[in-house]
Amino acid sequence: MQEFDHIEALWAKHSVDVKISADDMLKQAKKDVSSIRTKSLLNILGMGVSFLIMAALWLFDFQSWTTHAGISIIIIAIGVYTIILYRNHQILTKSDFTVNPTEFIASLKTYQLSRHELYNRLYWFYTIALSLGMIFFFVEILNHLDLWIQLLLIGISFGWMIFCSTLVRKAVIKRDKERIALLIEKFERISNQFKETD
Amino acid sequence: MDRKDQLFKEIFDKNSKKIFHLCYGYTGDADSANDLLQETFLKVWQNLDKFRNKSLISTWIYRIAVNTCLTYLRSEKRQAKDELTENIIENKIEEYSEKNEQIALLYTSISKLEENDRLIITMVLDELPYNEIAEISGISEGNLRVRIHRIKQKLTEIYNQHARI
Repeated sequence: MQEFDHIEALWAKHSVDVKISADDMLKQAKKDVSSIRTKSLLNILGMGVSFLIMAALWLFDFQSWTTHAGISIIIIAIGVYTIILYRNHQILTKSDFTVNPTEFIASLKTYQLSRHELYNRLYWFYTIALSLGMIFFFVEILNHLDLWIQLLLIGISFGWMIFCSTLVRKAVIKRDKERIALLIEKFERISNQFKETD
Repeated sequence: MDRKDQLFKEIFDKNSKKIFHLCYGYTGDADSANDLLQETFLKVWQNLDKFRNKSLISTWIYRIAVNTCLTYLRSEKRQAKDELTENIIENKIEEYSEKNEQIALLYTSISKLEENDRLIITMVLDELPYNEIAEISGISEGNLRVRIHRIKQKLTEIYNQHARI
């Protein structure tokens, strides 16, 4: 049978080591946010690369105005979408949680709404513009090919777009929403808890 | 390094060990204690400018830590982890069996206490003055003494029960 003195002695005997430093701790806190920022930046870079690839098509000597119109529509659509993505990215970078938590949480919420808009209403504008661009582009290109290749290319192109607009889009919306919601919840919990102790 | 960074570093170095011990006593596992320690000091960092010297800075940090620990289990998502924590504690017994079974038993016993009692007893074990514990936990000093006496009895009882098993 032990007394409380024994428990006190045990507690004192058990030394704990804090394995994290003040600097590491702040870095760790910023890590989650930086992961979302990196993903958003990669998204922009990917769109930038697509923009350049499409623009490079002009190096070929196309005869029909429809091809030029098609490429222009696609490039404008990609360009506008990239600018919107960049503006969204700026929402994330303009504030820092460790400096101004309230402002940062508000930014995250704005970012979440913008992403939702991007994958819903704006996404359909983007898809319609791309489809229109591709139709114009294919008029001249497919003219020189056999019928079965024409059908195959049209099938693959539009099949891919339908696949992206349905299954991929839904999965991305879900994952994006969950990830941002989790971050908002975490940072709100941290801020709310502090209010309780104030 | 600016003044705030320097001050934060000093505060962290001076208090982190005790806060970690408090969180460890509350959760019973090092990983969760580490999470809670980080959450506590993140709040300290954000609100350092608001600290008005009405109380000792260590008391202020303890209050934040206690609140962080209490909210930890109350949040719905953490409930599942709480069950996990119990498993971790159970596992720790085996892990500690050669090293120090008694310490593992102590953490298991603390985890069986009610949430607020867990925090109060860890502060008592960390030898915080009663007036500070009263301020942190928001209980009058008179009531606190009675409560601490009761918690000590309960903890000793749980510890002895487990020791017999």
